[in-house]
Amino acid sequence: MSLRYLAKKLFTLAVTLYVTVSFNFLLFHVLPGNPVQLLARSGHFDPAARAQLVKLFGLDHPLIVQYFIYLKDMVHGNLGFSYVYRQPVTTVLGGAIGNTVLLVGTATLVTIVVGIWLGVVAASRAHSLSDATITVTSLGLWSMPDFFTGMILIFICGVWTHILPISGLVTPGLVTGTWGHLVDVARHLILPALTLTLVNAAEFSLISRNTLVDVMVEDYMLTARAKGLSRRRIIWRHALRNATLPIVTATALYVGMILGGAIQVETVFSWPGMGLLIYNSVVQRDYPVLEAAFLIFAIAVIATNFISDLLYQVLDPRVRRA
Amino acid sequence: MEEQNVDEVAPRLTRRKFLAVGAGSVGALGVASVADAGLASAAAASTLRVGWTTPPDVMNPFTFTTTASNEILWLIYDTLMEYDLQLNPEPSLAATQTRSADGKTFTYQLRSGVTWHDGQPFSANDVKYTFEVMAKNNLGQAAWSLADFQSVMVVNPHKVIVHYKLPQAFDPAMAIPIVPAHIWSKMKPSKILSYSNPNPVGTGPYKFKKWVTGQYLQVDRNPKWWGSAPAVKSIIWNQYENSDVMVQSLASGQLDILTEVPPVLWNGLKGKANVKPVEMESFSFHHIGINVSKNPKSKGNPLLRDRTIRQALGYALDRSQLVQLALAGHGIPASVQLPPSFGKWQEQIPASQQINNNPAKAKRILDAAGYKVGSNGVRADKHGNPLSFRLIAIATTDEDVLAGQIFVKAAQAVGIKLTLSTLDNTTLGNVVYNTNAPNWDIFIWGWDSGTPDPDYLLSVDLTSQIGNNNDVFYSNPTYDSLYAKQATTINPVQRTALVHEMQKIFYDDAAYLIMWYQSKLQAYRTDTWKGWVPTRGGMIYNFTRDNYLKITPK
Repeated sequence: MSLRYLAKKLFTLAVTLYVTVSFNFLLFHVLPGNPVQLLARSGHFDPAARAQLVKLFGLDHPLIVQYFIYLKDMVHGNLGFSYVYRQPVTTVLGGAIGNTVLLVGTATLVTIVVGIWLGVVAASRAHSLSDATITVTSLGLWSMPDFFTGMILIFICGVWTHILPISGLVTPGLVTGTWGHLVDVARHLILPALTLTLVNAAEFSLISRNTLVDVMVEDYMLTARAKGLSRRRIIWRHALRNATLPIVTATALYVGMILGGAIQVETVFSWPGMGLLIYNSVVQRDYPVLEAAFLIFAIAVIATNFISDLLYQVLDPRVRRA
Repeated sequence: MEEQNVDEVAPRLTRRKFLAVGAGSVGALGVASVADAGLASAAAASTLRVGWTTPPDVMNPFTFTTTASNEILWLIYDTLMEYDLQLNPEPSLAATQTRSADGKTFTYQLRSGVTWHDGQPFSANDVKYTFEVMAKNNLGQAAWSLADFQSVMVVNPHKVIVHYKLPQAFDPAMAIPIVPAHIWSKMKPSKILSYSNPNPVGTGPYKFKKWVTGQYLQVDRNPKWWGSAPAVKSIIWNQYENSDVMVQSLASGQLDILTEVPPVLWNGLKGKANVKPVEMESFSFHHIGINVSKNPKSKGNPLLRDRTIRQALGYALDRSQLVQLALAGHGIPASVQLPPSFGKWQEQIPASQQINNNPAKAKRILDAAGYKVGSNGVRADKHGNPLSFRLIAIATTDEDVLAGQIFVKAAQAVGIKLTLSTLDNTTLGNVVYNTNAPNWDIFIWGWDSGTPDPDYLLSVDLTSQIGNNNDVFYSNPTYDSLYAKQATTINPVQRTALVHEMQKIFYDDAAYLIMWYQSKLQAYRTDTWKGWVPTRGGMIYNFTRDNYLKITPK
């Protein structure tokens, strides 16, 4: 990977980020409705109190000045003040991001590992009964809405058998040490993460199966077999490597999508993550929180795409030459 | 979050119901659990676990807007006077209250030996500070009750006298949480408005313990509280985003009581082991609001300023049918704006005079007023303007949408065309409360009284509330003057007569077609805590906090 390529990519990244940030600002400041009206939540305000509040939220400046203040604040890590929670947006978002990363991160990891493994199993026994079973089952699960899958899991694990907690991140009021806390969170994590995995693993299993099936009829596969390599080695070392590119692409898209897309699962399991926060902020018109959340999503998508671009370079010599 | 409509913002507790209804309908899984007491992982018998779908907003008693915050803050802070389980006033932080004969002066003898949660002593100066900062800066939900406030005088550390410019039928001390002057007086009003109050300090029976945003909020018993110690050591309010899951959690023993249960899920709880669903009267109604704005900039259909058309719409509707179909029977067909939970305050309209379920009369009065049926089945006035109106409802409030559909059919039968569309609740609020140029004809929404006193619901449609609570821009000088009169009438008999007269006038003017008084549906477990007393408005999530303080372990 040349330095020039990296510089070029970084430059594109910076421009994209700047445009996103500016668009994000505009989006929320040209919206109809008077933010001062939104702020006056607790009844009659005398004009002085109103003016003070307007000042507190920086709405007394012209739009262009607000824009530069916004940029300046952002560089300093200040994302504004939530209308609803009366706290800095960074505080409000901080906890939610952590929870979403925990849920989505775990689910993504399991999804990719399980998905690829299933894909490999199906491909290596292509057109057999197990291939058909895996393909049909994953398609079936993929077509289910995730909140529905979640409700079924709640029914099985929480209501019939009582083996797992069905809502929240921790057991309310539980007093315990660090280890006990970790176990508690892990138990709460299982059902929502399992829901996301069940629904999304199909994407990866189908992609890897189909790519692998294509790769396995290539001549060099025959050569590998002729060399006397084991079946396992042929698939995992030779075939899968070539099937990785579409998987990387799918992963990059998936991460961007799932950050916001966990809303339904977070709702069903009352998981206090970004999806839930955004849903509630939309309902309550908490613009500063929405603004910051959209920005974070944009950055996450831009960053994963950047990383996947770099990964192409590492994985595929053809891209490197191009 | 349930104070949905951010900019409608009433100076009082209002419109509390809406989100609770909308939030939970992701799935429609029935309650089919085998209830047993399992899984009570964290809860010993000392903790009360409450489930709700309506999260609190802030713990600042001057800026909160949600009923959930109110529920918690009213256990952390004390008021001078409070409501008992029958919703009658009882002394709280004040040991005694006396009202002067002219109704303008209230004397409170305060309890002695009371301390704040931080150990500082409580005194009359805290009361003085709270009343003054609230009245002068119009701070908080209760500021409305201090509209006639004049002064507060500290006689000694245990005695205060509050003066009002006019007689007060309602004692404002019922509504004002007393805050510690040693903490709040250091802040300017602007600072108070932006302060989140992360660690509220009050004198109440419970101390703030922990708030894990989006998860739960916990308070612990205050061992130094002046009253007799409650049995519940800790109260934990658990937040759910889905009513189905919340109800399952009650059935499986992870919760002890729910603040609100949607009708269908409530029905599913009947007969479950160790669970008792309870149906109580509420202080709420849902209504059809008609734009009667006289503002020349109003874009509402001017035909609706004719009372005949509004009454015809009322006659077209069958309230009993609405209750059966939209509420699954969990409510009472409505007439005037005070629900039956107000007891003697409610005006009784005889069946023969009710503007209800009489399509023939609707047609008759429309014919008599010259609104002839056209070839398309829709009536029109003599200039050919059709009786065709826009109807809006909140998309997530299922019963309102259903009522809207029934209303469209009912109006069609008498020759009036309605076009129903749905909006999210904030947008509907913005559309309806666009005071400068309201561009709508008819909406479906509801009201929740902020107090068990009739004052609040009667005040909604005052001329002076245009730009604030008045959602239909109703303006009637007779009604306004009767309101002013009842608010300062101390004699209960005279005041009742005035309150009845107001309801009759408002009913006949038909700017509101009130559809139903919905029931308050709650449910609790019978195997953990006992002694729950069903009360008008609910066992909890109501104007009284006494159920929290009086239940005992099973």
